[in-house]
Amino acid sequence: MKRVKLATVWLDGCSGCHMSVLDMDAAIITLARKIDIVYGPLVDAQEFPDDVDVTLVEGAVSSQEDATKIQKVRQRTKTLIAMGDCAVTSNVPAMRNGVPVSQLLHTIYATSNGSKDVPGERLPQLLSHARPLHEFVKIDMHLPGCPPSSKLIVGVLSDLLDGKKPELAGKVKFG
Amino acid sequence: MPKKLQLRIDGEMVSALEGQTILQAARNSGKYIPTLCYLDGLTPVGGCRLCMVEVSGIDRLVPACTTPIQDGMSVSTTSAKLTRYRKIMLELLFIERNHICAVCVSNGHCELQAMASQMGITNVRFSYNYPKLSVDQSHSRYVLDHNRCILCTRCVRVCAELEGAHVWEVTSRGIHARVQSDLNQKWGESRGCTNCGKCVQACPTGALAEKGWAVEEMIKRNDNITVLAHRKGAGA
Amino acid sequence: MMPRILDIGAFNAVREAGIAKLMPTVPRITVGMGTCGRGNGAEGVYHAFAELIERSGDDIVVAGVGCFGSCFQEPLVTVRLPGAPLVVLRRTQANDTGRILHDVRTGKITPDLIYCKIEEWDHITGVLKYGHGYPEIPLWNEVPFFKGQKKIVLRNCGLVDPDDIEEYIGVGGYQALYSVLIDGHPEKVIEQIKASKLRGRGGAGFPTGNKWEFLAKAKADAKYIICNADEGDPGAYMNRNEIESDPHSLLEGMIIGGYVTGATQGIVYVRAEYPLAVHRLSRAIDQAREYGILGENILGRGFSFNISVVEGAGAFVCGEETALIASLEGFAGRPRPRPPFPAQKGLWGKPTNINNVETWYNIAPIITKGPAWFTDTGSPKSAGTKVFSLVGKVRSTGLVEMPLGTPLKTFIYDIGEGSAGGSPIKAVQTGGPSGGCIPQEMFDTAVDYESLAQLGSIMGSGGMVVMDEDNCMVDVARYFIEFTHSESCGKCVPCRVGLNKSLRMLNAVTKGSGTMHQLDVLDELARYIRDCSLCGLGQTAPNPVLTTMRHFRNEFEDHILGRRCAAGVCEELAISPCENSCPLHMNIPRFLQLQREGRTEDAFLSVIMDNPLPASTGRVCQHPCDRRCRRQTTDEPVNMREVHRFIADSVLLSERFEEVTKQVCARKLEPSGRKVAIAGAGPSGLTAAFYLAMLGHDVTVYDGKSEAGGMLRFALPEYRLPKAVLAREIELIERLGVKFIFNTRVGFDIPLNDLDERFDAVFISIGTWKESWVYLPGTELKGVYPALLFLEAVANHEEVRLGRKVAVIGGGNAAIDSARTALRRGGDVTVIYRRERKDMPAIEEETTAAQAEGVKFAFLAAPHRIVGDSKGNVKAIEIVKTRLGEYDASGRRKPVPTDEIQRIECDSVILAVGETFDLDFARASGLGMKENGTIEVNRFTLESTRPRFFAGGDVITGASNVSNAMAYGKQAAQNIDLQLMETRRWEKLFAKIDCDESVPENPSESRRHHGHEIAVATRVRSEEEVVTGLTNAEAMDEACRCLRCDIKVEA
Repeated sequence: MKRVKLATVWLDGCSGCHMSVLDMDAAIITLARKIDIVYGPLVDAQEFPDDVDVTLVEGAVSSQEDATKIQKVRQRTKTLIAMGDCAVTSNVPAMRNGVPVSQLLHTIYATSNGSKDVPGERLPQLLSHARPLHEFVKIDMHLPGCPPSSKLIVGVLSDLLDGKKPELAGKVKFG
Repeated sequence: MPKKLQLRIDGEMVSALEGQTILQAARNSGKYIPTLCYLDGLTPVGGCRLCMVEVSGIDRLVPACTTPIQDGMSVSTTSAKLTRYRKIMLELLFIERNHICAVCVSNGHCELQAMASQMGITNVRFSYNYPKLSVDQSHSRYVLDHNRCILCTRCVRVCAELEGAHVWEVTSRGIHARVQSDLNQKWGESRGCTNCGKCVQACPTGALAEKGWAVEEMIKRNDNITVLAHRKGAGA
Repeated sequence: MMPRILDIGAFNAVREAGIAKLMPTVPRITVGMGTCGRGNGAEGVYHAFAELIERSGDDIVVAGVGCFGSCFQEPLVTVRLPGAPLVVLRRTQANDTGRILHDVRTGKITPDLIYCKIEEWDHITGVLKYGHGYPEIPLWNEVPFFKGQKKIVLRNCGLVDPDDIEEYIGVGGYQALYSVLIDGHPEKVIEQIKASKLRGRGGAGFPTGNKWEFLAKAKADAKYIICNADEGDPGAYMNRNEIESDPHSLLEGMIIGGYVTGATQGIVYVRAEYPLAVHRLSRAIDQAREYGILGENILGRGFSFNISVVEGAGAFVCGEETALIASLEGFAGRPRPRPPFPAQKGLWGKPTNINNVETWYNIAPIITKGPAWFTDTGSPKSAGTKVFSLVGKVRSTGLVEMPLGTPLKTFIYDIGEGSAGGSPIKAVQTGGPSGGCIPQEMFDTAVDYESLAQLGSIMGSGGMVVMDEDNCMVDVARYFIEFTHSESCGKCVPCRVGLNKSLRMLNAVTKGSGTMHQLDVLDELARYIRDCSLCGLGQTAPNPVLTTMRHFRNEFEDHILGRRCAAGVCEELAISPCENSCPLHMNIPRFLQLQREGRTEDAFLSVIMDNPLPASTGRVCQHPCDRRCRRQTTDEPVNMREVHRFIADSVLLSERFEEVTKQVCARKLEPSGRKVAIAGAGPSGLTAAFYLAMLGHDVTVYDGKSEAGGMLRFALPEYRLPKAVLAREIELIERLGVKFIFNTRVGFDIPLNDLDERFDAVFISIGTWKESWVYLPGTELKGVYPALLFLEAVANHEEVRLGRKVAVIGGGNAAIDSARTALRRGGDVTVIYRRERKDMPAIEEETTAAQAEGVKFAFLAAPHRIVGDSKGNVKAIEIVKTRLGEYDASGRRKPVPTDEIQRIECDSVILAVGETFDLDFARASGLGMKENGTIEVNRFTLESTRPRFFAGGDVITGASNVSNAMAYGKQAAQNIDLQLMETRRWEKLFAKIDCDESVPENPSESRRHHGHEIAVATRVRSEEEVVTGLTNAEAMDEACRCLRCDIKVEA
């Protein structure tokens, strides 16, 4: 049987959702037989491959780099899943949205760090607001939770592998 | 003694007293209608519109919390349209202000969250507003965070109707409406506030909270308000 | 101090006194002093009269009155000499007063100011007979604006002094109240109101009689009646004018209402922004008290009642009755859920009845004349009249009172007299921000509660805003949502958050960043707001969005998919108004600036990359760019077409041609290896060929004729477009590597399937070469020619046997071209057109030139039959005179034949009544066709129903003009390339040309420069080009007239 190509992407988030993925205990044995992880912080791949079956994206879109990346990921993925509250609602990354970017950077680099100015070119350009994924690309499934439980992630992946549409109602907490 | 009336709720015959609302009749007979701004014991205002129901013979939706029952009325509490509309209602509340549940004292004990999960909402289709809103921490025991307020006005009503202090009011209009204490004085400087904390307990979200709790720790007891209200014979 | 009226004798005495004031034995002059009149200088007029009369000591009475309705004619003055009709003068200014008084003294009426006369006026409650005379002056209801109006509510407005209760009583005022009090049967009055079928005029249309009955039956120690004068719709001012002009009618209605419902107190809730209305109403209340008509023991009949005025703070939502009550009680104006209804639990918890201002105005007439009289007017379900404020893009604006059930088109075309700016009317918005937009196709709709509701609009309080092609419907929806959003009280979620979200989404659409998916979400959101909001504000606020999305969905699509706002309103979607109105979307400000900087070659590159046939279009384009040029706000639009022609000519017709052609060729993209066929070498096909070749494709153009150019080559006469000019443009396109195969008709000589096999994409752009044939007796006669065949024969130097006297039928460019061509061949030419000159589709300058050359015109004339002689030759044409009747779907008046037939002797007839095409081959090849016989395409990609086949120009629109056809060629090239290459490369073609981007400090002050015409005497005997274009200095000066409104400066 052809193995399913799975990718994970880490945008603006705390990596807690990836921790939750790793936290799946014995279930990993069953899953590992059926999937290849082709891209993500858990594996050593440089370029997002073509024709990925399922991609789990953690984190909000905060920078121009994130925005470009999510477009590419969308183009190359069949089923795109927003994993965790940051990807679904932009959650904690959105806490900076009330502050203008220039002021934000100034506070971080100049005021609290004592450096003279903001390191301009070396930083990925921040968008004015951190926003959830679906405001940029079409999302096939939202998996809310901070983080979503390991059980939930395993359940969704197993359903997808079995060709079933995962039913989330009643299983997830929103907000 | 008010007259007893018969009505159908979702096809089932129930009886209720004249003068009661659809919501009261439903709750008394164990039927569920979702609500957010309603709190048993306070005057209903029909603000959140979550309790909209269909009544046969009326070509528009009516709010269950303020519509009095009529004899022979037939009410539907669910339909595809109602579910769709209720979801939009909640989605709009989430985008209106900054509900960052992960850092909220009421996370896990929030009526807005609970309602969303119960409706099976997994994301919001509208883009978020991200308004810049203030937090009033001037009170020695409590805090008001406008980011989390859904303008249900339960605090306004509980303060006026049960405590009699009239500290809270809604100021400004439309999307700029805010709850405010004592003609826009800081809460901590309010002369009228009796520090009773009823507003905090009545608040469905983390907008009004006690100080000193960490994330997920604030558990509200609004059932006490209902008990108190019924004892005083206030409200509906 | 006037003694209180306690008996009928006293009442009648006041009435006599009032009549004596209205029709004194000396001349009486009145000045319309409503807010509209004052805004136009009425106060100055009034004081000038008063001062002059005082100084001269003349026995002339001057009075201030309210507004007569025709706001566009303010200030209105009436003059009445004893025994003579009342004459209404319009647009009177203070400096006219001297001569008006002089004329009054000599018994004349100042002729140039005359608007209309009134011989007799039905005040409904009484009639004033002014007298007969002045046969030369039209009666008031013969003036278009008043024709068909029936003044019940406005019965006294503009005729009586609102500050004088005696004048009101003089015209029969308070008579109805008196009779009700004497009669002493309140329940009978309620029955009368019920029988009259009067419905609430605030917009909801609830039967007034039933509402009164609720209150009458309610038992309480206090009951209230309230007049809702919180009029807040943008563009609506009926209530303001009614109160300002006739406050006593309101009081009379309310006192009657108070008596029959048993109310203890009346309250008028009026906007504080209406100071004049508040002032006049307060004074009326004082006077009524003084005369014993308000207060204790009214008219001596033992009934006591009081009315007070409360000024609202101007929140729109306070027009909602529960919010209004909250406001009266001193709370913030926020509505509360109903039930309980105000009739059960209203102001201070007591039974309360609220009616709109206008509802109260109908009470006294119903009582005086009876319910049957009232139901005679209006439609079965909506009795009586309604006052509308007709505003927006119509010529005549003002307050219009019409019977309910009158069709919309009567308001817009007959009373409003059609479009004010010349741009066709597109829609009307009724009901203010809670109403909806009704498209022009539906102007047959009757204006009543039910019919408007069916279209998703409402009658509302009576606002009627007319919109033309310069209004963007997306922006209209956005505007109204912005209004309701800022007026939302914030109590319920749908209205508070939903309207805010709708506004944000609409803003995105007007900025071009919306998506079609969002449009669906917006639709659902709007329905949700409508169905779930707490009060009327939220429930009706989505109407403008829902109706515009329903009736004008294409405009939303244009914004989202095409990033275009055809109305030119959404600034972020256009470079400048001229660019936006140019079918080819040429960057006009840039070439003007380059010309100004003296960079002719750069200017040419800018021009040719936007428009591959710049010299031809520089001569024959309809130049829609003129219409929205901002320069015309100071004098006249910049002559962009002539500058553009100058730039094109100075390269194409000079030695620079070779050099610049090389530069253009150098911009070609690498060969793509894709092959494209184009059917038709007309403007559309040539344009597509140019761009596709530039994009690196291998392009082959097929045409049935022997040369390229299509209509430009074969239909346009040499004197308008010299063939040598066109040849240069075609040469440039050939240099790009475009191959031409002539004398080969696609679909006939070469089947479409062949093209399908040999090419990667096909573009069909065949012109309308088939002349539409009208059924007209005599068309078979010798000497009858279709215009296109005639013009083509001339262009091919073929022999055409044209007679001495030629009749041309039609009013388009083909008609004028034929006429002028025939003239040059020695003919005596008459153009016969069925409408008026201003309705002619031909370019205005061409018609003017034709007239100068001696072409004769017969307007309002349609061909009846062509008369032949015994040999079958044309002998004469009979024409039937037409008159203009009803407005048709194009917003023009339909010509209706009369009985008058005229005969014009002639020996040739040229038919220029429109063109069509032969597209059977397209249908046969599996291309989807539309009902009108054109090829069906996707509006944005121009792809037909057959994949890889695109179509544009006349084949999808019907006969149009050169620039429109070229625009389709451009659009097709862009989409064909996108499909062939699967990536957007279009922008690569357009190299950035830097030029000065600052607003000119001293734009040229010259008037518009026109191309020079050669003398009429020379040109009518030659084929020489008539317009020779601008000189270098003129072109430079003309370019310097541009104000550079394309430059957007951050505020």
